[in-house]
Amino acid sequence: MKKIFALILTLAMVLSLAACGGGNSGSGSGTPSDGAGAPADGGGSSDGKTYKVAMICDSSISDGGWGMACYNAMVDAAAKYGWETEVSDSIAQSAYYESIVAFCDLGYDLIYAPGNQYTTAILQAAEEYPDIAFALLNGGADTPSQAVNGNVTSLLPDAQQVGWIAGILAGLMTETGKVAFIGGMEIDTTKGKYAGFVESAEYVGAQEGKTVEALDVVYSGDFSASDKGIEFAKAMMDQGADVFFGDASAVDSGARQAIDEFNAAAGSVKVYDIAQPGDFLGQNECIIGSQVTDNSGLVGLCMEAVENGTFGGETIFGTMQNGVLSAGKLSDLVPADVQEKYSSYIAQVMDGTFMQ
Amino acid sequence: MDSTFISNLILASVRMATPLIFLSLAELYSQRAGLVHIGLEGLAAIGSLVGFLVSLITGSPLLGVAAGAAVGILVNMIYAYATINLCAEQIVYGMAINIFAPALASFIYRVYFGAGSELVQVGLMTTLSGLLGISSDNFLVRLLLDQTPMVYLAYGLVIFTAVYFNKTKSGLNYKAVGEYPKAAATLGISVVGVKYAASVICGALAGIGGAYLTTCYSTTYTDGNVAGRGFIALAAVIFGRWSAGGVLLACLFFGFCDALQIRLQVGSYGIPYQFFQMIPYIATVVVLTVIGMKKAGPKGVGKPYLREER
Repeated sequence: MKKIFALILTLAMVLSLAACGGGNSGSGSGTPSDGAGAPADGGGSSDGKTYKVAMICDSSISDGGWGMACYNAMVDAAAKYGWETEVSDSIAQSAYYESIVAFCDLGYDLIYAPGNQYTTAILQAAEEYPDIAFALLNGGADTPSQAVNGNVTSLLPDAQQVGWIAGILAGLMTETGKVAFIGGMEIDTTKGKYAGFVESAEYVGAQEGKTVEALDVVYSGDFSASDKGIEFAKAMMDQGADVFFGDASAVDSGARQAIDEFNAAAGSVKVYDIAQPGDFLGQNECIIGSQVTDNSGLVGLCMEAVENGTFGGETIFGTMQNGVLSAGKLSDLVPADVQEKYSSYIAQVMDGTFMQ
Repeated sequence: MDSTFISNLILASVRMATPLIFLSLAELYSQRAGLVHIGLEGLAAIGSLVGFLVSLITGSPLLGVAAGAAVGILVNMIYAYATINLCAEQIVYGMAINIFAPALASFIYRVYFGAGSELVQVGLMTTLSGLLGISSDNFLVRLLLDQTPMVYLAYGLVIFTAVYFNKTKSGLNYKAVGEYPKAAATLGISVVGVKYAASVICGALAGIGGAYLTTCYSTTYTDGNVAGRGFIALAAVIFGRWSAGGVLLACLFFGFCDALQIRLQVGSYGIPYQFFQMIPYIATVVVLTVIGMKKAGPKGVGKPYLREER
């Protein structure tokens, strides 16, 4: 009797885990097997085949930041091109490769990995699955050339411009002259965003007659620990920082919570946050603007290339000039004259004269 | 390093130590009954999610904490039945809980909220100073009053546990089960009953520890938000020599190290951040090396209890 019960217990746990796997990868368009997720117009691609894209992500797609924006980008692009979607989020580093391979074995046409940290796993899988397309958001410019089968494309939003868009607003809005940046992991794109943020905040501050200094970049070490975001933000506010920007997913959400609490205690909004990569104005009171990356456009280009049989071996850059990067809406907390100045600086970035 | 830095560091240490205290006490109660439980991470994960959901639905963080405790008990009954009745390997089932419970939490979250990605936020438990209408920048006021009731509960439980295990007959009987269950049985102590009671307490405290994260600390739930605290709690029990006071000191020490590395990163200017991130782990290794020489834990921990076995 005990053995039977033990078997039932084990079976229940295994089945639960299996169910979790499916649940975790639920998507707006359902699973491939249930037939949901077919395009609303009943179409799909011109050749009659319904293509499928799968996303892997180490943060949650409900993190209010990076994971959420990247997932929405895939869903939006899929809706436009009539693809089915699937996602596996909150996966550990040790599971990157296995998750990718699992989707490859299920016959997905395109694997979408939003982050530089997936590069090794993507290159390994791309070598083993030459017929599958791999899109690496924030991949290195030279990553496609490392793929022996030429089936990897890097989607590379210009990290410096991302930093500029936030840094300009920070330079204009800071009262204390101290701005702060919270990073998740020390990866090239995060370092690029920080560098752009610092140089533009300092430059704009100087143009406005202020001395602006950025606190040293801090890294939470992961993208899930919102509590670390709270503690980092508190520590940075103690140092006088009054405008925040970040690249740390749920950690950024924690930072915003701490900023909102600080502002509530002060009785007015004195410390601000700039969100990315979606337009998150209104999500928290402290958010005064966003740097927006139209990842859906980049993912859409990949889908188009897969359908046309021209995918791979290239790096697609995302800039303000080609419309992938933009500045989001500004909060009413940003005075009208500052909004005007901000628009003027953004125009300079667009025409290539910023900091010239 | 000025007084503001030090006072804010102490406040951050208390914040970061509180969930560890709940989890470490959960482990202490389990191990004192002979059950080594490495599944705290999983119990806290499901407690965190259920606490968040109930708090969101009812608008009451207190109910969220209660629900976190309840689900912790429920999930821990799997471990209890397998290890107590079926005499299964405790480490294996602890690890199974660690895999199963976070996946279940992730699954429930996705079922409830759907795949549509949106950041859901809940209100946090009010602090005592908030309840009393006191607002002050004074360090002592912030330390003693600007805390949620869960913080006072954590410290109250430490005192209760110390008294219970050392000054009461029931507590000594409880410890006897963890030391030498057969001898305890000959004295008429229900070994199985005590082990089940330990599992209920362990599940409840671990669930509360998880629920604390989403009802008192952070307004959001994210997968992985327990962030290894279940394993740090294991180290804290060894570090604390299986005593309530020792466990409290260990948790405060780990909380302090974590808070320190965050504050040092912010004020560093040039020192690689990895250096500061190493501090809690280096401290753990050093302290366990220095004081972990002598075996001080319950003698019967990790061993299955078979009543008929000679």
